[in-house]
Amino acid sequence: MAKAPSGSGRSARPVRPNSAGTSASRVPKNQSTQSEPSTQSGQSGQAGPSRPAVARRNAPPPASGIALFRRRHPMMSALVPVALVVLAVVALVVVKATGGAGGTPAASKVAAGSSTAATAGTSALPSGVLANVTSVSPTTLSAIGQPSATAAPTSTGAKTGLTASNGKAEILFIGAEYCPYCAAERWSVVEALSRFGTFSGLSATHSSTSDVYPDTQTFSFYGATYASTSLDFTSVELETNQASGDSYTTLQTPTSAEDGILAKYDKAPYTTQPGSIPFLDIDNKYISVGAGYSPQVLQGLSMQQIAAQLNDKSSAVAVAIDGEANRIAAAITAATGAQPLSATAAATSTAAATSTATTTSTATTTAGS
Amino acid sequence: MATARRRALPRWTTTTTLGLSLLAVGLTAYLTITHYTDPTALACPDTGIVNCTAVTTSSWSVILGVPVALIGLLWAASMTALNSSWAWRSSARWLDAARLVLSGAGALMVFYLVYVELFRVDAICLWCTGVHVTTIALFGVILAARASLVTGASGAGPSGRTDGSRRSGRSGTRGRRTRSLAP
Repeated sequence: MAKAPSGSGRSARPVRPNSAGTSASRVPKNQSTQSEPSTQSGQSGQAGPSRPAVARRNAPPPASGIALFRRRHPMMSALVPVALVVLAVVALVVVKATGGAGGTPAASKVAAGSSTAATAGTSALPSGVLANVTSVSPTTLSAIGQPSATAAPTSTGAKTGLTASNGKAEILFIGAEYCPYCAAERWSVVEALSRFGTFSGLSATHSSTSDVYPDTQTFSFYGATYASTSLDFTSVELETNQASGDSYTTLQTPTSAEDGILAKYDKAPYTTQPGSIPFLDIDNKYISVGAGYSPQVLQGLSMQQIAAQLNDKSSAVAVAIDGEANRIAAAITAATGAQPLSATAAATSTAAATSTATTTSTATTTAGS
Repeated sequence: MATARRRALPRWTTTTTLGLSLLAVGLTAYLTITHYTDPTALACPDTGIVNCTAVTTSSWSVILGVPVALIGLLWAASMTALNSSWAWRSSARWLDAARLVLSGAGALMVFYLVYVELFRVDAICLWCTGVHVTTIALFGVILAARASLVTGASGAGPSGRTDGSRRSGRSGTRGRRTRSLAP
Protein backbone atom coordinates (compact mmCIF):
# COMPACT_ATOMS: atom_id res chain seq x y z
CA MET A 1 0.00 0.00 0.00
CA ALA A 2 1.53 3.23 -1.03
CA LYS A 3 1.67 6.04 1.36
CA ALA A 4 -0.50 8.99 0.80
CA PRO A 5 1.11 12.27 0.10
CA SER A 6 2.10 14.12 3.16
CA GLY A 7 -0.74 16.19 4.39
CA SER A 8 -3.40 14.50 2.34
CA GLY A 9 -4.85 12.71 5.38
CA ARG A 10 -8.01 10.73 4.85
CA SER A 11 -8.87 12.41 1.62
CA ALA A 12 -6.80 9.81 -0.27
CA ARG A 13 -8.92 7.00 1.17
CA PRO A 14 -11.16 6.21 -1.81
CA VAL A 15 -8.30 5.80 -4.25
CA ARG A 16 -7.15 2.30 -5.00
CA PRO A 17 -3.96 1.24 -6.78
CA ASN A 18 -4.45 0.99 -10.50
CA SER A 19 -3.70 -2.07 -12.55
CA ALA A 20 -0.33 -0.81 -13.62
CA GLY A 21 0.80 -0.63 -10.11
CA THR A 22 0.64 3.08 -10.05
CA SER A 23 -0.12 4.24 -6.62
CA ALA A 24 -2.97 6.59 -6.05
CA SER A 25 -0.71 8.36 -3.68
CA ARG A 26 0.92 9.89 -6.65
CA VAL A 27 -2.32 11.29 -7.83
CA PRO A 28 -2.77 14.78 -6.55
CA LYS A 29 -5.37 15.12 -3.86
CA ASN A 30 -7.57 17.36 -5.85
CA GLN A 31 -7.85 14.84 -8.63
CA SER A 32 -8.19 11.62 -6.71
CA THR A 33 -11.17 12.72 -4.67
CA GLN A 34 -12.94 14.37 -7.58
CA SER A 35 -15.03 16.33 -5.20
CA GLU A 36 -12.71 19.25 -5.18
CA PRO A 37 -11.83 21.24 -8.27
CA SER A 38 -8.23 21.65 -9.12
CA THR A 39 -6.67 24.66 -7.61
CA GLN A 40 -3.04 23.66 -7.62
CA SER A 41 -1.85 24.09 -11.15
CA GLY A 42 1.60 22.77 -10.47
CA GLN A 43 0.42 19.38 -9.21
CA SER A 44 -2.22 18.89 -11.79
CA GLY A 45 0.34 19.36 -14.43
CA GLN A 46 2.31 16.39 -13.10
CA ALA A 47 -0.56 14.03 -12.79
CA GLY A 48 -1.03 13.14 -16.40
CA PRO A 49 -4.35 12.68 -18.14
CA SER A 50 -4.89 8.93 -17.54
CA ARG A 51 -4.53 8.79 -13.80
CA PRO A 52 -7.57 10.81 -12.93
CA ALA A 53 -9.60 8.53 -15.18
CA VAL A 54 -8.47 5.43 -13.28
CA ALA A 55 -9.22 7.10 -10.00
CA ARG A 56 -12.71 7.99 -11.18
CA ARG A 57 -13.55 4.42 -12.11
CA ASN A 58 -12.58 3.03 -8.73
CA ALA A 59 -13.57 5.75 -6.36
CA PRO A 60 -17.02 5.89 -4.73
CA PRO A 61 -19.52 8.33 -6.18
CA PRO A 62 -18.57 11.92 -5.61
CA ALA A 63 -19.72 13.18 -2.28
CA SER A 64 -21.06 16.62 -1.57
CA GLY A 65 -19.88 18.50 1.47
CA ILE A 66 -22.95 17.51 3.44
CA ALA A 67 -22.69 13.86 2.45
CA LEU A 68 -19.03 13.85 3.34
CA PHE A 69 -19.80 15.35 6.73
CA ARG A 70 -22.53 12.80 7.34
CA ARG A 71 -20.18 10.00 6.42
CA ARG A 72 -17.40 11.21 8.65
CA HIS A 73 -19.53 12.37 11.57
CA PRO A 74 -22.65 10.22 11.69
CA MET A 75 -23.36 11.03 15.33
CA MET A 76 -23.13 14.77 14.87
CA SER A 77 -25.24 14.54 11.74
CA ALA A 78 -27.92 12.61 13.59
CA LEU A 79 -28.14 15.29 16.23
CA VAL A 80 -28.67 18.10 13.75
CA PRO A 81 -32.51 17.91 14.10
CA VAL A 82 -32.16 18.21 17.86
CA ALA A 83 -29.89 21.18 17.44
CA LEU A 84 -32.43 22.79 15.12
CA VAL A 85 -35.24 22.37 17.63
CA VAL A 86 -33.09 23.73 20.43
CA LEU A 87 -32.03 26.66 18.28
CA ALA A 88 -35.65 27.37 17.38
CA VAL A 89 -36.66 27.37 21.04
CA VAL A 90 -33.72 29.60 21.93
CA ALA A 91 -34.75 31.94 19.12
CA LEU A 92 -38.24 32.17 20.61
CA VAL A 93 -36.80 33.02 23.98
CA VAL A 94 -34.51 35.64 22.50
CA VAL A 95 -37.33 37.24 20.53
CA LYS A 96 -39.47 37.27 23.63
CA ALA A 97 -36.70 38.72 25.76
CA THR A 98 -35.77 41.44 23.32
CA GLY A 99 -39.03 42.34 21.70
CA GLY A 100 -41.94 41.08 23.70
CA ALA A 101 -40.86 41.40 27.29
CA GLY A 102 -43.13 44.31 28.02
CA GLY A 103 -45.81 42.07 29.41
CA THR A 104 -43.68 40.28 31.94
CA PRO A 105 -46.06 39.45 34.75
CA ALA A 106 -45.54 40.91 38.15
CA ALA A 107 -47.51 39.53 41.00
CA SER A 108 -49.62 41.64 43.27
CA LYS A 109 -51.52 40.41 46.23
CA VAL A 110 -55.11 39.64 45.41
CA ALA A 111 -57.29 36.62 45.94
CA ALA A 112 -54.77 34.26 44.44
CA GLY A 113 -52.12 36.24 42.64
CA SER A 114 -52.26 38.38 39.58
CA SER A 115 -50.07 39.76 36.90
CA THR A 116 -49.89 42.10 33.97
CA ALA A 117 -50.72 42.16 30.29
CA ALA A 118 -54.15 42.55 28.74
CA THR A 119 -55.47 43.67 25.48
CA ALA A 120 -59.06 44.79 25.20
CA GLY A 121 -60.85 46.68 27.93
CA THR A 122 -64.60 46.69 28.17
CA SER A 123 -66.92 46.20 25.27
CA ALA A 124 -70.62 46.08 24.59
CA LEU A 125 -72.44 43.20 26.21
CA PRO A 126 -73.24 40.48 23.65
CA SER A 127 -76.93 40.28 22.93
CA GLY A 128 -78.94 37.81 24.93
CA VAL A 129 -76.37 37.35 27.67
CA LEU A 130 -78.07 39.46 30.33
CA ALA A 131 -81.43 37.99 29.39
CA ASN A 132 -80.11 34.49 29.96
CA VAL A 133 -78.57 35.44 33.28
CA THR A 134 -81.73 37.06 34.60
CA SER A 135 -84.15 34.41 33.42
CA VAL A 136 -82.80 31.22 34.91
CA SER A 137 -85.70 28.94 35.66
CA PRO A 138 -86.67 28.67 39.36
CA THR A 139 -86.83 24.93 38.76
CA THR A 140 -83.18 24.94 37.79
CA LEU A 141 -82.29 27.14 40.74
CA SER A 142 -84.10 24.81 43.13
CA ALA A 143 -82.51 21.74 41.62
CA ILE A 144 -79.03 23.21 41.95
CA GLY A 145 -79.56 24.69 45.40
CA GLN A 146 -76.38 25.55 47.22
CA PRO A 147 -73.82 23.01 46.03
CA SER A 148 -70.75 22.25 48.06
CA ALA A 149 -68.61 23.39 45.15
CA THR A 150 -69.59 26.95 45.99
CA ALA A 151 -68.73 29.04 49.05
CA ALA A 152 -71.24 30.82 51.22
CA PRO A 153 -70.73 34.36 52.45
CA THR A 154 -69.64 34.50 56.05
CA SER A 155 -71.78 36.13 58.70
CA THR A 156 -70.18 39.00 60.54
CA GLY A 157 -72.64 38.88 63.41
CA ALA A 158 -73.09 42.63 63.06
CA LYS A 159 -76.38 44.04 64.34
CA THR A 160 -76.22 47.25 62.35
CA GLY A 161 -76.42 47.08 58.60
CA LEU A 162 -74.70 49.12 55.95
CA THR A 163 -77.14 51.77 54.83
CA ALA A 164 -76.77 53.77 51.66
CA SER A 165 -77.52 57.49 51.46
CA ASN A 166 -80.93 56.64 50.03
CA GLY A 167 -81.76 54.60 53.09
CA LYS A 168 -81.59 51.21 51.42
CA ALA A 169 -79.46 48.32 52.54
CA GLU A 170 -76.20 48.46 50.66
CA ILE A 171 -74.35 45.74 48.81
CA LEU A 172 -70.71 46.64 48.15
CA PHE A 173 -68.57 44.89 45.57
CA ILE A 174 -64.88 45.67 45.20
CA GLY A 175 -62.93 44.00 42.42
CA ALA A 176 -60.82 44.67 39.37
CA GLU A 177 -61.24 43.83 35.73
CA TYR A 178 -57.93 41.97 35.43
CA CYS A 179 -58.79 39.66 38.34
CA PRO A 180 -60.03 36.21 37.21
CA TYR A 181 -61.69 35.46 40.54
CA CYS A 182 -63.60 38.72 40.32
CA ALA A 183 -64.61 37.70 36.80
CA ALA A 184 -66.10 34.47 38.09
CA GLU A 185 -67.82 36.08 41.05
CA ARG A 186 -69.45 38.81 38.95
CA TRP A 187 -71.58 36.28 37.10
CA SER A 188 -73.17 35.17 40.36
CA VAL A 189 -73.44 38.69 41.72
CA VAL A 190 -75.25 39.86 38.60
CA GLU A 191 -77.56 36.87 38.67
CA ALA A 192 -78.28 37.19 42.40
CA LEU A 193 -78.86 40.95 42.41
CA SER A 194 -81.04 40.69 39.29
CA ARG A 195 -83.53 38.78 41.43
CA PHE A 196 -83.95 41.92 43.57
CA GLY A 197 -83.61 44.65 40.97
CA THR A 198 -82.44 45.58 37.51
CA PHE A 199 -79.01 46.29 36.11
CA SER A 200 -78.41 48.67 33.24
CA GLY A 201 -75.24 49.75 31.53
CA LEU A 202 -73.40 46.51 32.18
CA SER A 203 -70.55 45.92 29.76
CA ALA A 204 -68.39 42.98 28.85
CA THR A 205 -64.79 42.51 29.86
CA HIS A 206 -62.35 39.75 30.62
CA SER A 207 -59.67 38.99 33.12
CA SER A 208 -55.99 39.39 32.38
CA THR A 209 -54.71 37.21 29.58
CA SER A 210 -51.54 36.42 31.50
CA ASP A 211 -52.90 35.72 34.96
CA VAL A 212 -54.26 32.45 36.26
CA TYR A 213 -57.48 31.44 34.50
CA PRO A 214 -56.58 33.94 31.80
CA ASP A 215 -59.10 35.75 29.69
CA THR A 216 -62.09 34.71 31.77
CA GLN A 217 -65.11 36.33 30.17
CA THR A 218 -67.33 38.37 32.45
CA PHE A 219 -69.30 41.57 33.12
CA SER A 220 -67.83 44.86 34.17
CA PHE A 221 -69.68 46.91 36.77
CA TYR A 222 -67.86 50.04 35.66
CA GLY A 223 -70.41 52.50 34.35
CA ALA A 224 -73.37 50.28 35.26
CA THR A 225 -76.31 51.26 37.42
CA TYR A 226 -78.60 49.18 39.57
CA ALA A 227 -82.21 49.92 40.50
CA SER A 228 -84.05 48.11 43.27
CA THR A 229 -86.82 48.94 45.68
CA SER A 230 -84.97 47.50 48.64
CA LEU A 231 -81.28 47.38 47.86
CA ASP A 232 -78.52 49.73 46.84
CA PHE A 233 -75.55 48.34 44.96
CA THR A 234 -72.15 50.01 44.88
CA SER A 235 -69.22 48.67 42.97
CA VAL A 236 -65.60 49.70 42.79
CA GLU A 237 -63.51 48.33 39.93
CA LEU A 238 -60.06 49.19 41.17
CA GLU A 239 -58.14 48.56 37.96
CA THR A 240 -58.68 47.70 34.33
CA ASN A 241 -57.18 44.73 32.56
CA GLN A 242 -54.73 47.05 30.80
CA ALA A 243 -51.14 46.60 31.89
CA SER A 244 -49.36 49.64 33.22
CA GLY A 245 -45.81 48.97 34.29
CA ASP A 246 -45.86 46.30 36.94
CA SER A 247 -49.56 46.72 37.59
CA TYR A 248 -52.73 47.76 35.78
CA THR A 249 -54.32 51.03 34.91
CA THR A 250 -56.27 52.42 37.82
CA LEU A 251 -59.98 52.63 37.14
CA GLN A 252 -61.76 53.60 40.35
CA THR A 253 -60.58 54.51 43.82
CA PRO A 254 -62.51 53.50 46.96
CA THR A 255 -63.88 56.23 49.19
CA SER A 256 -62.54 56.56 52.68
CA ALA A 257 -65.67 54.84 53.96
CA GLU A 258 -65.12 51.94 51.61
CA ASP A 259 -61.47 51.78 52.63
CA GLY A 260 -62.67 51.55 56.21
CA ILE A 261 -64.92 48.61 55.34
CA LEU A 262 -62.05 46.88 53.59
CA ALA A 263 -59.79 47.45 56.57
CA LYS A 264 -62.43 46.03 58.87
CA TYR A 265 -63.61 42.99 56.93
CA ASP A 266 -61.05 42.11 54.27
CA LYS A 267 -59.03 40.07 56.71
CA ALA A 268 -59.32 37.04 58.96
CA PRO A 269 -61.62 35.31 59.69
CA TYR A 270 -63.23 36.20 56.36
CA THR A 271 -60.10 35.48 54.38
CA THR A 272 -56.67 34.05 54.96
CA GLN A 273 -55.21 36.66 52.62
CA PRO A 274 -56.01 40.16 53.88
CA GLY A 275 -56.61 42.72 51.16
CA SER A 276 -57.88 40.18 48.66
CA ILE A 277 -60.47 40.76 45.97
CA PRO A 278 -63.19 40.15 45.00
CA PHE A 279 -64.70 41.57 48.16
CA LEU A 280 -68.47 41.44 48.63
CA ASP A 281 -70.12 43.09 51.60
CA ILE A 282 -73.81 42.34 52.07
CA ASP A 283 -75.14 44.98 54.41
CA ASN A 284 -72.11 44.49 56.64
CA LYS A 285 -73.77 41.30 57.84
CA TYR A 286 -72.29 38.87 55.36
CA ILE A 287 -68.85 39.04 53.84
CA SER A 288 -67.49 37.11 50.91
CA VAL A 289 -63.84 37.38 49.95
CA GLY A 290 -62.62 35.55 46.87
CA ALA A 291 -64.59 33.68 44.27
CA GLY A 292 -67.24 31.27 45.42
CA TYR A 293 -66.18 28.74 42.79
CA SER A 294 -63.21 28.03 40.59
CA PRO A 295 -62.93 30.13 37.41
CA GLN A 296 -61.72 26.95 35.75
CA VAL A 297 -65.26 26.07 34.74
CA LEU A 298 -65.44 29.20 32.60
CA GLN A 299 -62.15 28.68 30.78
CA GLY A 300 -62.32 28.96 27.03
CA LEU A 301 -66.00 29.90 27.05
CA SER A 302 -67.46 33.05 25.55
CA MET A 303 -70.07 35.06 27.42
CA GLN A 304 -72.78 33.64 25.17
CA GLN A 305 -71.63 30.10 25.83
CA ILE A 306 -71.58 30.67 29.57
CA ALA A 307 -74.97 32.35 29.63
CA ALA A 308 -76.52 29.66 27.46
CA GLN A 309 -75.67 26.98 30.02
CA LEU A 310 -77.18 28.67 33.06
CA ASN A 311 -80.54 26.99 32.62
CA ASP A 312 -79.02 23.52 32.36
CA LYS A 313 -78.88 22.07 35.86
CA SER A 314 -76.49 19.34 34.68
CA SER A 315 -73.96 21.90 33.46
CA ALA A 316 -70.91 22.52 35.62
CA VAL A 317 -71.16 26.17 34.63
CA ALA A 318 -74.74 26.38 35.89
CA VAL A 319 -73.94 24.53 39.10
CA ALA A 320 -71.12 26.97 39.82
CA ILE A 321 -72.75 30.25 38.84
CA ASP A 322 -76.34 29.49 39.83
CA GLY A 323 -75.22 27.79 43.02
CA GLU A 324 -73.11 30.75 44.09
CA ALA A 325 -75.92 33.13 43.09
CA ASN A 326 -78.29 31.14 45.30
CA ARG A 327 -75.91 31.55 48.23
CA ILE A 328 -75.55 35.30 47.66
CA ALA A 329 -79.30 35.77 47.24
CA ALA A 330 -79.94 33.78 50.40
CA ALA A 331 -77.45 35.93 52.30
CA ILE A 332 -79.11 39.09 50.98
CA THR A 333 -82.51 37.89 52.12
CA ALA A 334 -81.14 36.81 55.48
CA ALA A 335 -79.31 40.11 55.98
CA THR A 336 -81.83 42.60 54.69
CA GLY A 337 -85.13 40.79 54.51
CA ALA A 338 -85.40 41.73 50.85
CA GLN A 339 -87.35 39.34 48.71
CA PRO A 340 -86.63 38.42 45.10
CA LEU A 341 -89.00 39.90 42.54
CA SER A 342 -90.03 36.49 41.21
CA ALA A 343 -92.39 34.65 43.54
CA THR A 344 -90.83 31.26 42.83
CA ALA A 345 -87.33 32.64 43.15
CA ALA A 346 -88.44 34.32 46.32
CA ALA A 347 -89.55 31.00 47.76
CA THR A 348 -86.23 29.49 46.82
CA SER A 349 -84.33 32.41 48.27
CA THR A 350 -86.36 32.47 51.46
CA ALA A 351 -85.87 28.77 52.03
CA ALA A 352 -82.19 29.16 51.36
CA ALA A 353 -82.03 32.20 53.57
CA THR A 354 -83.55 30.25 56.41
CA SER A 355 -80.90 27.63 55.90
CA THR A 356 -78.22 30.28 55.69
CA ALA A 357 -79.44 31.98 58.84
CA THR A 358 -79.49 28.67 60.68
CA THR A 359 -75.99 27.90 59.53
CA THR A 360 -74.90 31.38 60.46
CA SER A 361 -76.42 31.07 63.87
CA THR A 362 -74.63 27.83 64.43
CA ALA A 363 -71.38 29.26 63.19
CA THR A 364 -71.75 32.32 65.34
CA THR A 365 -72.50 30.23 68.37
CA THR A 366 -69.52 28.05 67.66
CA ALA A 367 -67.31 31.07 67.19
CA GLY A 368 -68.70 32.63 70.33
CA SER A 369 -68.09 29.56 72.41
CA MET B 1 -29.11 -5.57 8.73
CA ALA B 2 -31.30 -6.33 11.68
CA THR B 3 -28.73 -8.68 13.11
CA ALA B 4 -26.05 -6.08 12.78
CA ARG B 5 -28.28 -3.56 14.53
CA ARG B 6 -28.91 -5.80 17.48
CA ARG B 7 -25.24 -6.45 17.85
CA ALA B 8 -24.38 -2.79 17.68
CA LEU B 9 -27.10 -1.57 20.04
CA PRO B 10 -25.35 0.38 22.76
CA ARG B 11 -26.29 -0.74 26.22
CA TRP B 12 -26.93 2.81 27.38
CA THR B 13 -29.65 3.24 24.79
CA THR B 14 -32.37 1.27 26.48
CA THR B 15 -31.44 2.53 29.91
CA THR B 16 -31.39 6.20 28.96
CA THR B 17 -34.43 6.24 26.71
CA LEU B 18 -36.48 4.19 29.13
CA GLY B 19 -35.42 6.41 32.01
CA LEU B 20 -36.31 9.58 30.13
CA SER B 21 -39.64 8.10 29.06
CA LEU B 22 -40.52 7.16 32.61
CA LEU B 23 -39.54 10.63 33.76
CA ALA B 24 -41.87 12.07 31.14
CA VAL B 25 -44.63 9.78 32.33
CA GLY B 26 -44.16 11.01 35.89
CA LEU B 27 -44.18 14.68 34.95
CA THR B 28 -47.15 14.45 32.61
CA ALA B 29 -49.09 12.30 35.06
CA TYR B 30 -48.64 14.97 37.72
CA LEU B 31 -49.80 17.67 35.30
CA THR B 32 -52.76 15.56 34.23
CA ILE B 33 -53.85 14.82 37.79
CA THR B 34 -53.67 18.45 38.79
CA HIS B 35 -55.53 19.44 35.65
CA TYR B 36 -58.47 17.26 36.63
CA THR B 37 -58.34 18.05 40.35
CA ASP B 38 -57.01 21.47 41.28
CA PRO B 39 -54.85 23.26 38.70
CA THR B 40 -53.86 25.86 41.26
CA ALA B 41 -52.33 23.17 43.47
CA LEU B 42 -49.26 22.79 41.24
CA ALA B 43 -46.09 23.08 43.28
CA CYS B 44 -44.74 26.03 41.36
CA PRO B 45 -43.97 29.67 42.09
CA ASP B 46 -46.33 32.21 40.54
CA THR B 47 -44.06 35.21 40.53
CA GLY B 48 -42.81 36.96 37.43
CA ILE B 49 -42.70 35.06 34.18
CA VAL B 50 -42.89 31.71 35.96
CA ASN B 51 -46.52 30.86 36.56
CA CYS B 52 -47.55 27.26 36.09
CA THR B 53 -51.22 27.81 36.83
CA ALA B 54 -51.53 30.56 34.27
CA VAL B 55 -50.31 28.10 31.67
CA THR B 56 -52.19 25.01 32.78
CA THR B 57 -55.48 26.84 33.20
CA SER B 58 -55.32 28.80 29.97
CA SER B 59 -57.54 28.04 27.03
CA TRP B 60 -54.39 26.82 25.29
CA SER B 61 -54.11 23.97 27.77
CA VAL B 62 -56.77 22.08 25.86
CA ILE B 63 -56.62 20.94 22.24
CA LEU B 64 -59.92 19.87 20.68
CA GLY B 65 -61.33 19.24 24.12
CA VAL B 66 -58.42 17.09 25.23
CA PRO B 67 -56.06 18.50 27.88
CA VAL B 68 -52.51 18.93 26.63
CA ALA B 69 -51.32 17.28 29.83
CA LEU B 70 -53.30 14.15 28.97
CA ILE B 71 -51.94 14.16 25.42
CA GLY B 72 -48.47 14.37 26.93
CA LEU B 73 -49.19 11.48 29.26
CA LEU B 74 -50.38 9.29 26.40
CA TRP B 75 -47.33 10.25 24.39
CA ALA B 76 -44.99 9.46 27.28
CA ALA B 77 -46.67 6.11 27.87
CA SER B 78 -46.26 5.26 24.21
CA MET B 79 -42.61 6.27 24.28
CA THR B 80 -42.08 4.14 27.36
CA ALA B 81 -43.38 1.11 25.51
CA LEU B 82 -41.32 1.92 22.43
CA ASN B 83 -38.19 2.38 24.51
CA SER B 84 -38.51 -0.79 26.52
CA SER B 85 -35.67 -3.25 26.16
CA TRP B 86 -38.05 -5.59 24.33
CA ALA B 87 -38.87 -2.91 21.77
CA TRP B 88 -35.23 -2.03 21.25
CA ARG B 89 -34.33 -5.69 20.74
CA SER B 90 -37.14 -6.24 18.30
CA SER B 91 -36.23 -6.29 14.63
CA ALA B 92 -39.65 -4.93 13.62
CA ARG B 93 -38.98 -1.91 11.47
CA TRP B 94 -42.26 -0.23 12.38
CA LEU B 95 -41.15 0.02 15.99
CA ASP B 96 -38.08 1.93 14.92
CA ALA B 97 -40.17 4.16 12.68
CA ALA B 98 -42.78 4.77 15.36
CA ARG B 99 -40.10 5.62 17.89
CA LEU B 100 -38.52 8.11 15.52
CA VAL B 101 -41.81 9.68 14.43
CA LEU B 102 -43.21 9.99 17.93
CA SER B 103 -40.04 11.47 19.37
CA GLY B 104 -39.83 13.90 16.46
CA ALA B 105 -43.46 14.86 16.89
CA GLY B 106 -42.78 15.42 20.57
CA ALA B 107 -39.92 17.76 19.74
CA LEU B 108 -42.10 19.74 17.34
CA MET B 109 -44.84 19.91 19.95
CA VAL B 110 -42.32 21.33 22.39
CA PHE B 111 -41.58 24.13 19.97
CA TYR B 112 -45.29 24.90 19.61
CA LEU B 113 -45.93 24.82 23.36
CA VAL B 114 -42.96 27.06 24.14
CA TYR B 115 -44.30 29.51 21.58
CA VAL B 116 -47.72 29.43 23.26
CA GLU B 117 -46.19 29.93 26.68
CA LEU B 118 -44.05 32.87 25.61
CA PHE B 119 -46.33 34.66 23.20
CA ARG B 120 -49.88 33.66 24.07
CA VAL B 121 -49.97 33.05 27.79
CA ASP B 122 -47.00 35.20 28.76
CA ALA B 123 -45.94 32.74 31.39
CA ILE B 124 -43.68 29.74 31.77
CA CYS B 125 -44.69 26.54 33.51
CA LEU B 126 -41.73 24.87 35.21
CA TRP B 127 -43.30 21.43 35.18
CA CYS B 128 -44.08 21.80 31.50
CA THR B 129 -40.50 22.90 30.90
CA GLY B 130 -39.37 19.74 32.61
CA VAL B 131 -41.42 17.74 30.14
CA HIS B 132 -40.03 19.79 27.27
CA VAL B 133 -36.42 19.22 28.26
CA THR B 134 -37.09 15.52 28.72
CA THR B 135 -38.73 15.33 25.31
CA ILE B 136 -35.86 17.06 23.52
CA ALA B 137 -33.34 14.89 25.35
CA LEU B 138 -35.27 11.77 24.41
CA PHE B 139 -35.35 12.85 20.78
CA GLY B 140 -31.60 13.43 20.86
CA VAL B 141 -30.80 10.11 22.51
CA ILE B 142 -32.97 8.21 20.06
CA LEU B 143 -31.28 9.90 17.11
CA ALA B 144 -27.87 9.23 18.62
CA ALA B 145 -28.79 5.62 19.22
CA ARG B 146 -29.88 5.24 15.62
CA ALA B 147 -26.66 6.84 14.47
CA SER B 148 -24.63 4.48 16.59
CA LEU B 149 -26.59 1.55 15.16
CA VAL B 150 -25.75 2.62 11.64
CA THR B 151 -22.15 3.23 12.60
CA GLY B 152 -21.97 -0.14 14.27
CA ALA B 153 -23.45 -1.88 11.27
CA SER B 154 -21.25 -0.14 8.76
CA GLY B 155 -18.02 -0.25 10.62
CA ALA B 156 -18.53 -2.62 13.51
CA GLY B 157 -15.73 -0.87 15.25
CA PRO B 158 -12.57 0.89 14.23
CA SER B 159 -11.00 -2.19 12.63
CA GLY B 160 -13.78 -2.37 10.10
CA ARG B 161 -14.28 -6.09 10.61
CA THR B 162 -17.74 -7.19 9.69
CA ASP B 163 -16.94 -10.59 8.32
CA GLY B 164 -14.05 -11.72 10.45
CA SER B 165 -11.43 -10.71 7.93
CA ARG B 166 -8.51 -8.53 8.85
CA ARG B 167 -8.43 -6.39 5.80
CA SER B 168 -8.73 -3.25 7.76
CA GLY B 169 -7.14 -0.26 6.28
CA ARG B 170 -7.65 -1.37 2.73
CA SER B 171 -9.51 1.26 0.95
CA GLY B 172 -11.29 -1.26 -1.25
CA THR B 173 -12.77 -3.04 1.75
CA ARG B 174 -13.99 0.16 3.17
CA GLY B 175 -15.60 1.23 -0.04
CA ARG B 176 -17.36 -2.09 -0.52
CA ARG B 177 -18.77 -2.05 2.96
CA THR B 178 -20.08 1.42 2.50
CA ARG B 179 -21.88 0.46 -0.67
CA SER B 180 -23.49 -2.55 0.94
CA LEU B 181 -25.05 -0.36 3.59
CA ALA B 182 -26.42 2.16 1.23
CA PRO B 183 -30.20 2.21 1.49
